Amino acid sequence: MTADIYRAMGDPIRLTLISRLAGSQPLSIGDLSKNLGISRQGARKQIQVLVDAELVELMPKGRSTEVVLKHNKLRQAREFIVQLESQWDQRLEALKNFVED
Amino acid sequence: MQDVIQKQLKIQANAEKVYTAIADPNQVVQWFPNSLEGDYTPGSQPLFGFGEHGKSRIYVVEARPHDYFAYRWVPGANHYQGDVLSVPTTLVEFTIKAISEGVCELTLTESGFSQLPADMMADAFKQNSNGWEFMLNRLTQLVETTP
Repeated sequence: MTADIYRAMGDPIRLTLISRLAGSQPLSIGDLSKNLGISRQGARKQIQVLVDAELVELMPKGRSTEVVLKHNKLRQAREFIVQLESQWDQRLEALKNFVED
Repeated sequence: MQDVIQKQLKIQANAEKVYTAIADPNQVVQWFPNSLEGDYTPGSQPLFGFGEHGKSRIYVVEARPHDYFAYRWVPGANHYQGDVLSVPTTLVEFTIKAISEGVCELTLTESGFSQLPADMMADAFKQNSNGWEFMLNRLTQLVETTP
C-alpha cells in the first residue's frame, strides 16, 4: 500500500487543485494548472502526487488529458476525520461532566 | 484535507481540577479509557484499555501542571500495542487556560493526520465504529450516574 491520501492533501497547492475539481466538471491538465502561482511543470508534479494517492484519475480526451476527481476516495478520508471528531466531542463531554460534577 | 482536529470548550472548573482529570491516572479512567496500565508520566508508554474493544498504547510526551498534557498514539485504532515511537502517530494535546475564577477553556488538538499511511487510515476507519459505540455507552453510563 503506497497511496498516502492525507499526505497528498496536506499541501495548499494540492488542496486548491482538489477544490477546483470538486466545484466543477473534470478539467484538462492545462486548465487546472492555471493561476496557481507555480510553473506548469510544478503543477504537473502536484497533479501526479494526487494520481499516486488515487485521489484523481487522468483520462485522455481528444488531444488533451482530463483530471477526474475520485469522489469515493475523498469521502472516505472525510468520514474518517468526521468520526474521530465525533469521538473527541464525546470524550470532552464526558470530561466536562466529570469535572463539573 | 485537514491535518488537525481541534476542539475547544469552556468548563466550569478551575485549571487544576481539569488538569488533574486529564493527567492523574486514577481520574483519567473516569472519563476516557476505562483502565490504564503502566507509568503515566512523560517518556513512558502506558496502555489505555477500552474494555472488550481492546487496548491502545500511548507515549506520554509532556505533562506540565496545570496547563498542558500531551501524548502520541495511533489514532482510531484501539488495538495498537507495539512501540508507539516506531510507527506513524498523531499528537494529542490538551491545553488549559484559566478564563476567570472557576472557569477555564480547554483546547484539544490532535495533529499529524497527513503523516499517516493510507493503510493505517483504512484500518482505523474499520475499527472506528467499535470505538464509537464504546464511547456512546460510556457517556450514557456517566450521564446516568451523575446527579
